[in-house]
Amino acid sequence: MNRTPFVIFGVFLTIAFSLSGLVLIPNWQFQEHQPVVTAPDGSQYPVPYFGMALQGRDVYVDQGCLYCHTQQVRAKGYGGDIRRNWGNRRTVARDYMYEYPILLGTMRTGPDLANIGARQPSRDWHYLHLYNPQITSAGSVMPRFQYLFRTIKAGELAPSGAIALPPAFLAEGTHIVPTARGEQLVEYLRAQNRTFPLPEAKQ
Amino acid sequence: MMSLPEGPNESKLQQISRIRIDDSSRVPVSLWFASSVFWLLMGSVAALISSVKMHNPDFLGNIEWLTFGRIRPVHLDIVFFGWSSMAAVGCLLWLQARLCHVRLPWPLLLSGLAMVWNVGVCVGVMAVLAGHGSSIEYLEFPAYCAPFFAIPALGVLAANVKMYVTKESQHTYVSQWYLLAATVWLPILYVTAMGCTYFGLVQGVSQAITNWWFGHNALGLWVTPIAVATAYYLIPKVTGKPVHSYHLSLLGFWSLAIFYNWAGTHHLTGGPLPAWTITVGVVGSMMMFIPVITVAINHHMTMRGVFHMLKTSPTLRFTVFGSVMYTVASFQGSLEALRSHQEITHFTQYTIGHAHLGLYGFFSMIMFGAMYYIFPRITNNEWSSARLIKVHFWGSSIGVLAYGIGLCWAGWWQGVMMNDPAIPFLDTVAYIRPYLIMRSVSGTGMTIAHIAFAISVWRILSRHHFVMSGPTLFTTTRPAWREFVNEQEKREQAELEAQS
Amino acid sequence: MFLISMLIWATALLGAVMTVWALAWAVQRGEFRNLRQGAASIFDAGEPIGQQTDFFPGAKR
Repeated sequence: MNRTPFVIFGVFLTIAFSLSGLVLIPNWQFQEHQPVVTAPDGSQYPVPYFGMALQGRDVYVDQGCLYCHTQQVRAKGYGGDIRRNWGNRRTVARDYMYEYPILLGTMRTGPDLANIGARQPSRDWHYLHLYNPQITSAGSVMPRFQYLFRTIKAGELAPSGAIALPPAFLAEGTHIVPTARGEQLVEYLRAQNRTFPLPEAKQ
Repeated sequence: MMSLPEGPNESKLQQISRIRIDDSSRVPVSLWFASSVFWLLMGSVAALISSVKMHNPDFLGNIEWLTFGRIRPVHLDIVFFGWSSMAAVGCLLWLQARLCHVRLPWPLLLSGLAMVWNVGVCVGVMAVLAGHGSSIEYLEFPAYCAPFFAIPALGVLAANVKMYVTKESQHTYVSQWYLLAATVWLPILYVTAMGCTYFGLVQGVSQAITNWWFGHNALGLWVTPIAVATAYYLIPKVTGKPVHSYHLSLLGFWSLAIFYNWAGTHHLTGGPLPAWTITVGVVGSMMMFIPVITVAINHHMTMRGVFHMLKTSPTLRFTVFGSVMYTVASFQGSLEALRSHQEITHFTQYTIGHAHLGLYGFFSMIMFGAMYYIFPRITNNEWSSARLIKVHFWGSSIGVLAYGIGLCWAGWWQGVMMNDPAIPFLDTVAYIRPYLIMRSVSGTGMTIAHIAFAISVWRILSRHHFVMSGPTLFTTTRPAWREFVNEQEKREQAELEAQS
Repeated sequence: MFLISMLIWATALLGAVMTVWALAWAVQRGEFRNLRQGAASIFDAGEPIGQQTDFFPGAKR
């Protein structure tokens, strides 16, 4: 009595079944998604990342920001996301239709970033925070990303692009300038804005 | 010729055949196991670095390739691909050969595949450290690493199927179902998930579902079945008591096969997905109570009346610990999938605590137990020191319990605080910091245990401390049987020559 | 949306039917007979039931 085909076929069936149920059906379900067009100027949401923000996504991925930060807002009444002002509505599938790869994240050692661009629109804040998180968020356990900045020895006058560090964090006679990757990452973070009202996300 | 234990002829032949089957897996299984132990050490180093960085972010601060966002996925990938998968393959090859009563086929090929797998882990780790990781959990290694895992996985599947179809045993033992299923699942899971992820076959949030379909199933349908299969073999085998209920074990297998598949989406509870996908995940997780309870009943009832053997058998100690943790971690996991529970614990250290109770407390402990049983039998050597084994056991078990319970406790309250907007976010960070330090301490304990284990493995492989005349069952019988095995092999050789 | 939910239900139903069919087929083929012997199949005269097969190195039996 040989059970081999029976066992192999059975286990194959189980996984093919869940693959089609969990991956293929939702994927097919979302294919009908279209951007929302706001008349009259015809601006659309969502829009794919472009320019420096698009390059910044690669920096976000290679620095592994996802391991401490999520990019999703849970519905009102489910967790404290909206009451913490991490968003004005829950995020839905349409918010992510152009995300590749998708960076939802599963851990909130740091706060959610789905709308960090709306909460912190200022470049300066992001540069200070990335250079040394203690400047903006004392007690944070986020690492310093000082390798995304260059130190420039300069005279009295700050070079253009130098970040406005408090004197306590700056060595005498030097200025700190973000590298290209630093600038890209900040543009990506500033592009994190999922506040556009969507018909399917009332809350 | 050395004197042999008295016994009927049939039992002698069975012993000889068992020794020859174990011999046939010597090189490949030793290689898969030794590699896994190497990766266990590397994984521990990566774990300690990331753990310390979590409470002291300036530790190794300005070194880009060691930043937390890289060393943390490196830890996960080394532990999953390097340690867990390689240990699982070693275990599965040895066990399937034994249960099928056939010698391990293609030893050279299977050894070569172990090296291919090792190269894959090396390349992947370096890629992630260099910043080429994908930030897709469990699939961080870049696409060009995929062949290094997919090809060996197919090779292992082929060897496994070959053993099963040519088997000389009359019965199918329950472990064989798990082993066969796991090797069918792994290549499908891995290839599909890599394909969908890297070739843009799925868009938007479906990527996240694919991610967790893989991430959860890689644990549930690859390493879990192998550990359960091992426990189903080793607990009865070491104690000399047949499994309590064979019916239950079959029910357990098929319910695991059907329900575990669907559980992965609970990793996305509250996320931007259609509600039904999450509901499916919650239902799947709840149904997992069935296989878990059947395994729990079976293993506990098998152990009834022989608990005193835990004092005398290292294998049993590790395996029973792992088996108990399977029940604990699975119950926890099923409850964790509930929406009301996830509202608090999702996104917190609770998940990390649970993951370690599962992958370490359950899976790794059973693998340790299996290696303590298998290494002497394939190397014809004895473990050098009972003390090292005890250091390993207590370091690992106390370490993982402190780790798991501490982080689950801290994570729960972290989640409660996070859901209360009156508490500033940085207070949640300040609250968990002492527990993160405690995690580094328990992690150090586990690392010491791993070093003790690695020393033992190094000695047994390099034939230090070769104990010929010790009083254990193994050392008194095996060397004596060798003569007999050699004689039998010579006889068969002569018969073959006579025929040709 | 209606189409999608119908599809989900149809796949679920198909899965359920196939599972029941596979189970019935397996029972008919005698896959569930002689289960007791299966449990004992890992023991033989060389390593019989009732014999412990693993000890700490150097331990007295």
